[in-house]
Amino acid sequence: MEYTDVAVIGAGLLGCFAARALTALDIRVTVLEAREDVCTGISRANTAIVYTGCDTKPGTLKTELCVRANRDFGRLCRELDVRFSRCGSLMAAFGPRAEAVLRKKLDQGRENGVPGLELLGPGEARTMEPGLSRDVTLALYAPGTGTVDPWELCIAAYENARANGADFRFSQEVRRMARTESGFLLETTDNTYAARVVVNCAGLRADAVRELTERPTVRIFPTAADYLVLDDTVSGFVKHIIFHEPEEKGKGLTLVPTVDGALLAGPTERPRDTAPDWATAREGLEELQALCAQVVPGLPLEETIRSFASLRPNPYAVREEQGQWVREGRSISSFTVLEENGLISLIGVKTPGLTCAAALGEYVSDMAARVLGQPGRNPRFDPSRRGIVRAHDLSEADRAALIRRCPDYGQIVCRCRDVTLGEIKEAIRRGAVTLEGVKRRTGAGMGRCQGGRCMEPILELLAEAQGVPPWRVTGDGGAAMVRGELRHGRV
Amino acid sequence: MEEFDLLVIGGGAAGMAASLAAARRGQRVLLAEREARLGGILNQCLHSGFGGGLTGPAYARQLIDRVNASAVCVRTGTDVLRIFPDRTALLSSRTGLERVEFQKCILASGCRERSVWSLPVAGSRPAGVFTAGTAQKLMNLGGYDIGDGVVIMGSGDVGQIMARQLAQAGKRVVAIIEQRDQLGGLPRNRRDCVEAYRIPVLLQCTVDEILGAGRIRGVMVRHLPTGRRWELPCGTLLTALGLIPDRALCRELLEDGALPEWLRLCGNCDYVHDMVDSVVREAAQTAF
Ligand SMILES: Cc1cc2nc3c(=O)[nH]c(=O)nc-3n(C[C@H](O)[C@H](O)[C@H](O)COP(=O)(O)OP(=O)(O)OC[C@H]3O[C@@H](n4cnc5c(N)ncnc54)[C@H](O)[C@@H]3O)c2cc1C
Ligand SMILES: Cc1cc2nc3c(=O)[nH]c(=O)nc-3n(C[C@H](O)[C@H](O)[C@H](O)COP(=O)(O)OP(=O)(O)OC[C@H]3O[C@@H](n4cnc5c(N)ncnc54)[C@H](O)[C@@H]3O)c2cc1C
Repeated sequence: MEYTDVAVIGAGLLGCFAARALTALDIRVTVLEAREDVCTGISRANTAIVYTGCDTKPGTLKTELCVRANRDFGRLCRELDVRFSRCGSLMAAFGPRAEAVLRKKLDQGRENGVPGLELLGPGEARTMEPGLSRDVTLALYAPGTGTVDPWELCIAAYENARANGADFRFSQEVRRMARTESGFLLETTDNTYAARVVVNCAGLRADAVRELTERPTVRIFPTAADYLVLDDTVSGFVKHIIFHEPEEKGKGLTLVPTVDGALLAGPTERPRDTAPDWATAREGLEELQALCAQVVPGLPLEETIRSFASLRPNPYAVREEQGQWVREGRSISSFTVLEENGLISLIGVKTPGLTCAAALGEYVSDMAARVLGQPGRNPRFDPSRRGIVRAHDLSEADRAALIRRCPDYGQIVCRCRDVTLGEIKEAIRRGAVTLEGVKRRTGAGMGRCQGGRCMEPILELLAEAQGVPPWRVTGDGGAAMVRGELRHGRV
Repeated sequence: MEEFDLLVIGGGAAGMAASLAAARRGQRVLLAEREARLGGILNQCLHSGFGGGLTGPAYARQLIDRVNASAVCVRTGTDVLRIFPDRTALLSSRTGLERVEFQKCILASGCRERSVWSLPVAGSRPAGVFTAGTAQKLMNLGGYDIGDGVVIMGSGDVGQIMARQLAQAGKRVVAIIEQRDQLGGLPRNRRDCVEAYRIPVLLQCTVDEILGAGRIRGVMVRHLPTGRRWELPCGTLLTALGLIPDRALCRELLEDGALPEWLRLCGNCDYVHDMVDSVVREAAQTAF
């Protein structure tokens, strides 16, 4: 049995930022994550937008946190050495219904204190974003909207929390939880932990984790989302984040020029059972292609390099009916943060959970501090962290100097994204244990060949670091990439 | 800054042949190759059929020996990162980052394979999905077993050659799936690879969906004329969906879609060639 003050369950964005904020207190923090690495759940598959706060109702926790988080996002990213592009957004309307939505968002945004909002006519909108369809009738410009790499942000929070003393335990799925006189007893696959406070950030499973000790009141009913990714060859084609507000019912389209020059298109909204979890649906991908052609007609869709799917953790109030828990009314739109005698749960935190991750981390850490009787501050807490050096982003002189210091930075492993051996080795040193772990830390394998050329050397580096043969190294899904050695050696 | 008459980017058959031709004319040539050795795609093609009956590496050997005996300045393990309009290029290797100056440049960077993830193929992204060329490299250069029960999507030459190689290695090739009404690739490969090894072929079909969570367990096949769909179990999926000239380096240099007069393309980077002899012949003529 191991003792800790706060056990955080789940190492997605929310768990990592909760842990980071908690390490500012003079307490022991342990993070229990079911998977082998951080950022494998919803945090790895979302729209990557830093919202301004004009989409939510005034006076709510969500709005308050979002407006503040957006304002502070530049500082946060500087502290954590994370790339952030405040590219601004255009919400585009193609008819009267959508125009009304834009006007409402303008008023709402102003009331929420979002700076710089402006309505633009079709001419102005197309001057700012020449690729936009000629059919656009009105656009809402929000200069404060930005984009961040959610993997980079999550990993940065993890590394910073770890540096400040948080103890991350991977492959520790919490299966049982019980209340004791002094707090909680948590059982994972192969260990037991005693904690005074539990912070439940289990993402899609946050309801199930809560129900290990509590009666159901809120449950998550997921829906699925599909995305397309276009190559960085389209970089510059779309300069702002574009929200297409559809005239008919439906989800519309969002386009995001990402921090590494690619373009993200999505998300769709479809029932969970239309495809296996985390798998894309053909109808979803075709819908996105059609929407792209409508909103930005010249977009070279043949530059698509990948598609992926996500799950939305929609929370609903539930009530018991003949021994069954059935959902009531519409999905809860506010952030659901529950504190029940030392069990703090974040349930169904959807958009803008990425934007608000740091703010929510502080929010739950304050809650935990109250339960623990306001412990002192951690005198050694340092909020800053340095990321892995990206040779590609350096000036020629700096890159040359780096190679002189360490020749590994002269050897390119991922040609599509210009990632060097030095970066890959550093990612592994910092905790990557799968191909995707390396990809999320360095970008290797994200380009047009999708790992075709760099998979093999990365597998071999992972194998060497883990002291196993390459066929023991797994991808995200837990399966090995190659099966073994050829019986007769090389054919 | 070092100066050259000609910078050749890529040390495959095309780059080597172009370098040799230029050196023969007395030009000072720099040949930059990112891999540790020259040869390009030839190195992983262990089948015979190059320039008559040679294997890929044997064919490459002949060219490499000639390059080594020539005045061409060869740098292996050296990636060309960028070409600038002022006729300099940025090279990266373990020994450092450097700019070189040149009069002319030949881009012989070969081609890349179209990945399945660029198509609207639905499903998960499990282990066990490879492009045919990656599979070929993993098996032939890495010595890795990539799995059994193989479905090959697309019927390009590389896919057909891999079907034969897998069959020879004792693996079961479930089917080649081709959307057109006949196989692609060279007639020679159809005969020697597909027919000789009785590889099942599904024509006018495509893969709609990839199934499986950790490792691939099957594909959803769709018969295009009828729309009929069925699940085809498999343990590995290779894709041979076509090759695309790899011209990333000259993207920023295009002026109204045209290359500057000092830059030429050759080999598979110009257009995809079936036969290495034609690559070599054209490359020798491409040299300025
Ligand atoms: C489609 C979509 C698009 C979005 N787009 C945006 C956007 O553009 N901007 C924005 O601000 N927000 C966006 N969001 C919201 C944001 O992505 C989420 O709020 C955020 O990622 C949630 O993080 P999380 O840590 O709660 O979940 P996750 O990342 O899923 O982390 C939960 C973790 O808990 C672990 N876990 C689960 N059960 C257990 C257990 N029993 N024991 C141990 N560990 C366990 C899981 O393995 C997982 O690692 C989007 C969300 C979705 C779904
Ligand atoms: C699988 C396969 C089977 C074939 N089978 C046959 C056959 O049986 N018979 C036959 O006659 N022909 C065959 N061919 C055709 C022929 O062999 C090829 O077309 C020819 O070898 C291509 O030569 P290349 O130099 O254009 O390209 P490649 O061999 O691909 O060479 C390109 C080189 O450029 C390097 N490079 C790329 N970018 C950079 C950069 N930025 N900096 C430095 N270096 C770089 C690469 O590392 C590579 O070495 C086959 C082709 C393939 C793909």
